[in-house]
Amino acid sequence: MQEDRDVLERRLSREDLLKLAAATGGAGLLAGRTGIADAARAHFAAESGRLQVLDWAGYGNDGGQAMFAAYVKKYPKNKPQFTYMTNEADALAKIHAGLKPDIFRPYVGWTKYFATSGLVQPWDPKLISNFKYLNPFMVKAGQYNGKQYGIPEDWGLDAILYRSDKVKPKAKSFSLLFDERYKGKIAWYDDITMIQIAGLYLGFKNCWNQTDAQLKQSQNLLKSKKHLVRVIWSSETNLWEAFGSGEVWIAYAWPNDWVQMKKKGLRVVYMRPKEKPLAWVGMFMLLKGSPRPKLAHAYVDAWSSTKSAKWLEDNYGYGHANTRARPSSSDLLRVLQLSNPQAVALPNAYLDRDIPRRALYARMWEQVKAA
Amino acid sequence: MAIEGEAGVPAVSLSRRRRMRLNLAAPGLLGLPVAWLVVFFVVPIAIVALYSFDVYSLFPGKHGFTLDAWRAFLHSSVYLGLFWKSVKMSLIVSTVVVALAYPVAYYLALSGTKRKYVLLLVLIAPFLTSYLLRVLAWKVILGNEGVLNSFLAWVGVRSRDHPISQLLYSRFAVVLVLTYVWVPFVALPIFVSLESLDRRLLEAACDLGASRWQAFLRVTLPLSLPGVIAGFLFVFIPTVGEFVTPSLVGGTSGYMYGNQISDLFQTGFPDWETGSVLALFLLIVVAALTATFARFLQVRQVTAS
Repeated sequence: MQEDRDVLERRLSREDLLKLAAATGGAGLLAGRTGIADAARAHFAAESGRLQVLDWAGYGNDGGQAMFAAYVKKYPKNKPQFTYMTNEADALAKIHAGLKPDIFRPYVGWTKYFATSGLVQPWDPKLISNFKYLNPFMVKAGQYNGKQYGIPEDWGLDAILYRSDKVKPKAKSFSLLFDERYKGKIAWYDDITMIQIAGLYLGFKNCWNQTDAQLKQSQNLLKSKKHLVRVIWSSETNLWEAFGSGEVWIAYAWPNDWVQMKKKGLRVVYMRPKEKPLAWVGMFMLLKGSPRPKLAHAYVDAWSSTKSAKWLEDNYGYGHANTRARPSSSDLLRVLQLSNPQAVALPNAYLDRDIPRRALYARMWEQVKAA
Repeated sequence: MAIEGEAGVPAVSLSRRRRMRLNLAAPGLLGLPVAWLVVFFVVPIAIVALYSFDVYSLFPGKHGFTLDAWRAFLHSSVYLGLFWKSVKMSLIVSTVVVALAYPVAYYLALSGTKRKYVLLLVLIAPFLTSYLLRVLAWKVILGNEGVLNSFLAWVGVRSRDHPISQLLYSRFAVVLVLTYVWVPFVALPIFVSLESLDRRLLEAACDLGASRWQAFLRVTLPLSLPGVIAGFLFVFIPTVGEFVTPSLVGGTSGYMYGNQISDLFQTGFPDWETGSVLALFLLIVVAALTATFARFLQVRQVTAS
């Protein structure tokens, strides 16, 4: 009897032990998960210091405060600190040279480059409450290998601005940028986009990946027409000054430039060339190893809100990926086709894309300026 | 018998101690500026040189010593052409600046006016304002709707619809603004070399029957040449690599070599390799020119007052 009890006890105790082990394991697992969650929470809670933002002029404390006001309200102790970039190449050079921003804003044509560069990490869209309102087409353009590397925000076109009281275009075409009749009254943009525009004008099917011969043709066109150009602008304020004072009448320009010149009382037209304009979408990217991912997500969330989007459209004349935003100006709504979810795609425009031989394009453009 | 100095200290040991102190003082005094030069001049240039040979690169990945960028540069008519254009613009600026600064310095140094230091202060007064502001002010003057064109329209020389548009965003604008900026810089070394001129030489020339013009040509000018050459170099060296002024008032035609260096580092797609080659080439040319002209310079004559 004693022996039976011993066996029973032994058997029970083994079961108990197994149960105990299972329970302990499960609890451990749970405890582990909770631990990870706690650790993550603790990590987020521990995010300190000011959010470091590398962005374009006009989007920081120099006039763009309304677009991240919600973030500042939520995190008054972690106000963003801005460094400005003149273009993606400038941002790239700054980051490689040691600048450590949490976020920065390249445009859609650079999505693949940065996603594969190892410099950025994907976003977690679940942490961005306004993400669901963003244009799905643009959201997709910010993805690489199924991961969301870019959060789309501002967008616009590369097209032509001209003074309707001074200029009579022969056609709605990029040819106006190369029109001999307006020698000394034309402004180009200081970027490899000019090589793409030359390619579009020359009728090349893929202006982002031109062959060597096509590149040479594009470069020769730009070199041969450079004598017509008064200014090659690199910041919008340069352009506004030259255009506003009547130094130039025709310019490669963005929608904001059209808005600003209209505000100055100039009679201006923002022409949509028959070759189709190039469209760009600003993509917030999160730097790999950012010590402030939660703050970065919150900042992008603020930028993605309908209120910020409407402010951007009303004040800067750019489109915004938030589909619920509508500008007060019906002109802008019409010109940018803001109610069209695919305004940045064909048949309206060519959405900018990756340039596989970007370094070569850049070298050729630099030679145009130096020639 | 030991020779005794003050307070009974042997004079021999005193002079040895002084010599030792002098020996220690020289490296002590020179150490800081030399270290400064090495850390902030030699080392950065060495790094730029390494970039130009692709030993260092902005981008991660495999890199090794190559002369490709140098070869491409030396075979490029575009870059060398731009360099030559910048040299020509810089030569024009330097010559005009010297020609304008010399009479001013001459008047201040030799006219005998009691207010020469006040006038000198007036001459350098623009330095009290920002360089950027001084350059931007020219936009207000030279623009289509600027002071000059408005004046021409007001006096009826040009109509308001047809202003002289070549005044701004042109090579002319760059040369004009650089000349304005550098005149005081050049007037100073010329003033110093004229101030140190021995007036008795001029009196002797007059006594020997030389006219004022002859005295100037045979005495004043040769003796002030070190100041003139120094002034010329003070302008030529920085302006040949200038990029701020051309980017503000130069437009397409006023684009200079310095702009290209700046753009290669940050526009389109960063090309630090080529940018470094261009920067080093400029440095080499400038160093060679300085070495050549340094023979004609007598530092004492330029700096003595």
